[in-house]
Amino acid sequence: MTTATEARAPQAVSMRRILPPIVTGQEVVLLVVLVVLWVLLGIFTPAFLTPGSIGPLLVQVAPIALIGVGMTFVIITAGIDVSVAGMIMVSAVVTARVLVSYDVPAIVAVALAIVIGAALGALNGVLIAYGRVHPIIITFGTANVFTWLGLRVFNSSTVNGIPSTLEFFGRGSAGSTLGVPHSFAIAVLAVAVAWWFLRYAKSGRNLYAIGGNQNAARLAGIKVQPRLVWVYLITGALAGLAACMIIATGTSTLDQSVGSGKELQVIAAVVIGGTSILGGRGSVVGTLLGAILVQTVVSGVTQLGWPTQLGFLFVGIFILIAVGTDIIRERARRARA
Amino acid sequence: MKISRKIAGALALSAAAAVVLAGCTSRNTDTGSSAAPGATDGASAEGLTIAFVPKLQGIPYFEAMNTGGQQAAEELGFEWLYQGPTTADAAAQADIVRSFIQQGVDVLFVAPNDPNSMAPLLQEAQAAGIHVATTDTDAPDSVREVFVSQASVEGIGQQLTDSLLEAMGGSGKYAIVSCGETAANLNAWIEVQEAYTASEYPDAEIVDIVYAGEDQAMATQMATDLMNSHPDLTGLVGECTSSAPGVAQAVQDADRIGEVFTVGLGTPQSMLPYLESGASSASILWDVEGLGYLTGWAGVQLASDGDLGDTSSLSNEALSEVEYDESTGVLLLGPPTVFTAENAGDYDY
Repeated sequence: MTTATEARAPQAVSMRRILPPIVTGQEVVLLVVLVVLWVLLGIFTPAFLTPGSIGPLLVQVAPIALIGVGMTFVIITAGIDVSVAGMIMVSAVVTARVLVSYDVPAIVAVALAIVIGAALGALNGVLIAYGRVHPIIITFGTANVFTWLGLRVFNSSTVNGIPSTLEFFGRGSAGSTLGVPHSFAIAVLAVAVAWWFLRYAKSGRNLYAIGGNQNAARLAGIKVQPRLVWVYLITGALAGLAACMIIATGTSTLDQSVGSGKELQVIAAVVIGGTSILGGRGSVVGTLLGAILVQTVVSGVTQLGWPTQLGFLFVGIFILIAVGTDIIRERARRARA
Repeated sequence: MKISRKIAGALALSAAAAVVLAGCTSRNTDTGSSAAPGATDGASAEGLTIAFVPKLQGIPYFEAMNTGGQQAAEELGFEWLYQGPTTADAAAQADIVRSFIQQGVDVLFVAPNDPNSMAPLLQEAQAAGIHVATTDTDAPDSVREVFVSQASVEGIGQQLTDSLLEAMGGSGKYAIVSCGETAANLNAWIEVQEAYTASEYPDAEIVDIVYAGEDQAMATQMATDLMNSHPDLTGLVGECTSSAPGVAQAVQDADRIGEVFTVGLGTPQSMLPYLESGASSASILWDVEGLGYLTGWAGVQLASDGDLGDTSSLSNEALSEVEYDESTGVLLLGPPTVFTAENAGDYDY
C-alpha cells in the first residue's frame, strides 16, 4: 500500500500546520508517572531497577506493545479487534507444532507465524471493510472461529517438548544483546516506524480521517476499504510475530490458554496510552508507554509483596482515568466548536 | 443513537450465539446402543452404562482420565460415556448432566465446576434411579454415593513441601506461584503447605503467595519478580499445571539452576525438560489414567451393589494403594506420585 495513486493531498507546508505537537500531553503525563513509579519501586524494593528485573519486564511488555501498534491503527480508524487472542492461539499452536515436528530454523518459524497471523487479520479486514458491520461484532465472531481452529490444532493435547529455537526472543541470556532484550528492541522499532507512518505518511494521516468521519473521508477521496483491510492485516501479522515471543517466553509446553486475555491487555495499553476509543486520535508512543506502565504495576505489586489482586485495581483505575480524560477533552473540544 | 442500538442488538445476538456454541460439544460417536433405562441386572458389568462429565473436555488432564476410563470399560465390559463442556462453565456442564439423566445411564460421575449448583441436579439424577458419584472434585453437600479422590489434601501439600525442602536442604525462604485465586483445591493444598512447613521445617519460611491465573508467561514473570524482590529466595512452588513449568522456566532463564529450587504440580510431559535440566527438582501429581480407571471400577461396584472396600478385583498395578473410607464415602487413589527425571518420560500426558 503506497501513496502512489492517492488523490491530491494538502502540501507539506499546510501539513505542518495541522500536525499535533511531537509529544502530546498524555505522553508526557505517562512518562512522568512511569519515571515516578520506577524511582519509587527502586527505593522500596531491593532489586526493581536492576538489569535482572527490568530486562524480563521489558520482554514481557514486548508482545503487548507490538500488537498494540496494530491495535492503535485499528482504534484510530474507530475500529477494534477483539480477536487478537484467537490469532495468537492459532499462530502459536501451528508454529509450536511445526517446531516440534520438523525442527525448522527460527526464521522459518517466525515467517510462518507472521503469515498465519496476517491471513487471519486479512480475513477480519475484508469482513469489516466490505461487510460494513461494526468491527466489534465481526472480530467477536472471528475470535470464536479462531479459538475453534486453535483447539482443533491442539487436538485435546498440549504441545510438549518445544525446542529452544526461538530463544532469540526469550527471557534468557540468548534473548538480549548488551542488556537490551531483542523482543523489546523489535517492539520499539515497530513503534518508531509506526510513529513516522502515522505522522508523515499520507496513508497514515488517512487513518485519522477515517476514524474522525468515515463518510467524509470517503468523500474526500480516501480509499477507506483498502486502508481498513490493511490495518487489520497488520494487526494480525504483529499478533503472529508476538506469538513467537510468547512461545519463547513460555515454557517448553504450550497449552490451550495461550493468548487468552491478551486482547484486553493490548486494548488497555492502547487506551491508557491516550488513543481515543472513539477514533480519530491516538499515538503509538503512548501505547508503548501504556504497555510498560501496565507491566510495571503488575511486577511492582509482586515485588512489593502486595496481594496480586491489587494489580487489577490499579490497572482498572488507570484505564478509567485515561478514558475519563479523553471524554472530558472531547466534550471540551465540542463545546469550543 | 440509532447505530448504537443496532450494535447493542447485534452484540446481544452474537453473545447468545456464543453461549449456544459453548454449550454444544462433540457427542461421542460410539454410543449407538443407547442403554435402556434401569437395565441393571445382577452383578455383571455387561450392559452397564457409566457416564463421566469432566469439568472441561479437551485438556490433557481429563483426556488422560478418559483414557483410563475407557481401559476399565474394555477390561470390565461396560459402556463408558465421556462428555464435558468446552469451557469450565457450570451451566454448560449442567446441560450435559441433564442429557445423561434423560438418557437414563446407570451410573453418573461428575467432576463439578460448581459443587453447590451441581448438588440439586445430582439429587434429580438419583430420583431418576441413577447412581450418582463425584470424581476428581467433590460435591460434599450432595447425595453422591462416593467421591473418587486423586489424593488427599494432606498428601499433596505435605509431598510438595517435603520434596521442595529436601532440595533446599531443609531450610530457607520460598514462595508459591498459584493460579486461580479462588480455586478451592489449590487453596486447600496451600493451607496444608503453610501449616506443615511451620510445624516440620522451623527454619523454612513462605515469604509470598502470588496468583498468575492460567497464564504460563505470567507465572514465569511473577517467579522472576519474586526472585528479584527476595534475593535470598531459594525455593519456588508452581501450584498448578501451568505455573509448575512456569517457575522452572524462570529459574532457567535467570541462570539460577542449583541456587533456586522448584517443585510443582505439573504433568510429567510438560515437566520432563526441566526435571532433566535440574530447573525443577520434582513434580507432584497422581496417576491420572489410574484415576480414570478407578472411576470406572467404582461405577461398576455402585451399579452392582458391590463392596467399594474390597479392592481385590483391581488388578491394575497403579491402583495397589487404593483405600476406601466408608464414613466419608471417599475412595482414595493413594499417595501422590512423585515424578523425577527418571520416571517422567514413562507417561504420555
